[in-house]
Amino acid sequence: MIKRVEINYRGIFQKNLAKKIGGDIVMIAARMGQVGFSNGRYSDAPERNGIPCKYFAFVSPDLSEEELEAECGAKLDIDEANISVVLDDTMVKGVEPWAWHGVRPINEKVVPYGHMLIVSRRRPEELVRFMARKPYPYYLALLEGDASFAGLWVYRDDLTHERVLGAIAALDPQLLSIEAVKGYLWDKTHEEHRVEAAQKAFESVRHNIHEVTPLQGIDWPYEIPKLPKWHEFSEGVVVKAVPREFHLGPKGQSRNQLFKRGTTKSQRPVVRFDLCTKCTLCWLECPDQCFDPTPDGYYDIDYEYCVGCGKCAEVCPVQECIVMVDELAFEDNRSPWEHWKRDPEGYVRWAEEKKGKHRVLPNVVTGTGERVVEVEPVPVGGKPKPAARAGA
Amino acid sequence: MAVAQPVGVYEREDLLTGCQAVAEGIRLANVDVISAYPIRPYTEVMDAISKIIADGKLVAEYIVADSEHSQFEIVKHAASVGARAFAGSSGTGWMYGFEALVVTATDRLPVLFLVGNRALDDPGAFGVEHNDALAIRDMGWLLCWVATAQEALEHVLLGYRIAEDKRVMMPMALAMDGAFLTHSQHIVRIPSQEAVNRFLPPFDLAERRLHPDNPVSIAPQVNEDWVMEIRRQNWEAARRARGVIVQAYEEFNQVFGERYKPPYYFEEFMTDDAEVVLIGMGTVAMPARTAVRRLREQGHRVGYVNLRWFRPFPSVELRESLRRFKAVGVVDRDFAHGSPDDGGVLLHEIRSCLYPARERPAVVNFITGLGGRDVSIQDAIRMFEITQEAARKERLDGFVTWVGVRE
Repeated sequence: MIKRVEINYRGIFQKNLAKKIGGDIVMIAARMGQVGFSNGRYSDAPERNGIPCKYFAFVSPDLSEEELEAECGAKLDIDEANISVVLDDTMVKGVEPWAWHGVRPINEKVVPYGHMLIVSRRRPEELVRFMARKPYPYYLALLEGDASFAGLWVYRDDLTHERVLGAIAALDPQLLSIEAVKGYLWDKTHEEHRVEAAQKAFESVRHNIHEVTPLQGIDWPYEIPKLPKWHEFSEGVVVKAVPREFHLGPKGQSRNQLFKRGTTKSQRPVVRFDLCTKCTLCWLECPDQCFDPTPDGYYDIDYEYCVGCGKCAEVCPVQECIVMVDELAFEDNRSPWEHWKRDPEGYVRWAEEKKGKHRVLPNVVTGTGERVVEVEPVPVGGKPKPAARAGA
Repeated sequence: MAVAQPVGVYEREDLLTGCQAVAEGIRLANVDVISAYPIRPYTEVMDAISKIIADGKLVAEYIVADSEHSQFEIVKHAASVGARAFAGSSGTGWMYGFEALVVTATDRLPVLFLVGNRALDDPGAFGVEHNDALAIRDMGWLLCWVATAQEALEHVLLGYRIAEDKRVMMPMALAMDGAFLTHSQHIVRIPSQEAVNRFLPPFDLAERRLHPDNPVSIAPQVNEDWVMEIRRQNWEAARRARGVIVQAYEEFNQVFGERYKPPYYFEEFMTDDAEVVLIGMGTVAMPARTAVRRLREQGHRVGYVNLRWFRPFPSVELRESLRRFKAVGVVDRDFAHGSPDDGGVLLHEIRSCLYPARERPAVVNFITGLGGRDVSIQDAIRMFEITQEAARKERLDGFVTWVGVRE
């Protein structure tokens, strides 16, 4: 028997976390007398901010290591997952690691009665409404928490790692027993709070497992690209480029229809056009040219292409004009400028509702934490004020 | 492999990628000079070594070069003053330093290199393909493929032991499949320093060492009147290497337990009563072995031969082994466009090696897994089926099939 665990993570921010979880699954399973190994999906290139990537762990109680490796070793992706861990809940909207993969459902690999384990503060129905319908039932387990994000060289030690291991023990005690998880964490660190974090996650996840039936979820709206045969594309590695086109207004700039990268974001910028001073900075600084100039001098956003990097919100000189908001708060990618033109007051109410009252401000030095402040919404017709800068 | 080991040979177990396992080997071999220049998948080994040095577990010069060419020159020169040296690369980076690589062999400096196999670009492909390491095959290098992280660590030790042997003194390329081995985490047993010291003597360049107390000039200008004799010396060393390799594995087994079986150059899997075998290098062994198990459950007499050493090529041993079978399917994770029958590099080596045998198996060829393409268990079964057809004379000798290409 082979147990396959898939860990869906975001490039750079969660690369070290995913690798640690994958590796420790193997080490803990080994304590229980099983064999295993762990690797990442090599084609991912997870050195790209937020790109959806995968790490894997393979464990068997009865095969030899050689047999297990022979079955699972030299493969780029897995065919099926007994447990599919999702380290950032915004990935339920779909994952697109490269253009030619297409936007794939997050639950693509989970087996019948297998488990999706999602780190989230949302309710099951708030996640399932974005996920693809499966022809068979499976379980959705929720580990309450925020997505743990760090840097490529920085590991953020916020106990997500220990908690995920405890949660996996709650889903499949034959794969990892909670005793083995705790024993391993203790032997490795001699730190009680790590053992406790795993135990608490184990207890809470046991009561947070929900069956997802074939009636739940959506018909997947994205097509999976069909790759051409060897004689069907140009020789010399030449591909047709996107012709350059421009007109004022939403989607006025020509963009590559084959690779939108929108699934890279865990937050999206929400714009208060009524506060905008038309300074052009968001449009100039956006690394992905997601801002479309409009006939009235504003800048619309094409959310299908926005990767949520936050550069626009960072450079916007006006307080509360561009604010990054959790991607799961949004159902679609429609043009915010059109929405505002159609219903200026309704748009502002909608935008403020999405933004909420709390703003998370990272400290100037990476990895030293963040501050949460409460803000008063700027009313319609309010005067634009200069934005506060980090550390100011 | 469940075998008895002498007590105290292994110090601990740890979860390591293939690259990290190589880095542990570098620590245990107490390497003096490491030069580095990043290219995926090799990069992970330079990261791992720099961490080992930063953690105070190895005292060594660690030089980050401005390119692969300089990187390879640095270790060549370091070796000439008697330093045990390590470098490595992948794909086109390895090719960029080629000039330095060929003269390292002529100068008979036993540096160890890791080649994390990578496709030769374009377009930015980083998956495994063997053409990068194979390019060194005619240049007087030792060249060997490992198939597990444990073997990777052990072949760093074996590599230095063989390369630095006075009868050999040749540079050594340790090749390892990108991704499937370089980046896969496995539980690896790490030998104790004491055991390694018993196996691997210190590097001694003796009278060839460049030092103020030993004034020598290395590789002065030579012309037509010298080159052929120099090549003849190199050939002699390459011949002597064959005996040294066997001796090194025997000594390794004495210290570490029965880790490797004769003839050491390659490893056979379920071949005892086999009629048909596949032979390949690196991690293609994984799907091939599973295919062997499944086909044997259905009564097919099939087996797999994992070729470890490519240079020196084990002509005698392989000829002796392969002539037992009715047909041999050669699995090439490389290409040799325009070569005989348009087959792969390994095909030509194996057919040429088998030619003098009185009874020869039919030989067919598979080009597969290029650029990191998965070789599935189903692909391996198909390769066995085609090889069985060759055994029944339904396929011509030299028949080449591309497996896994979209067509």
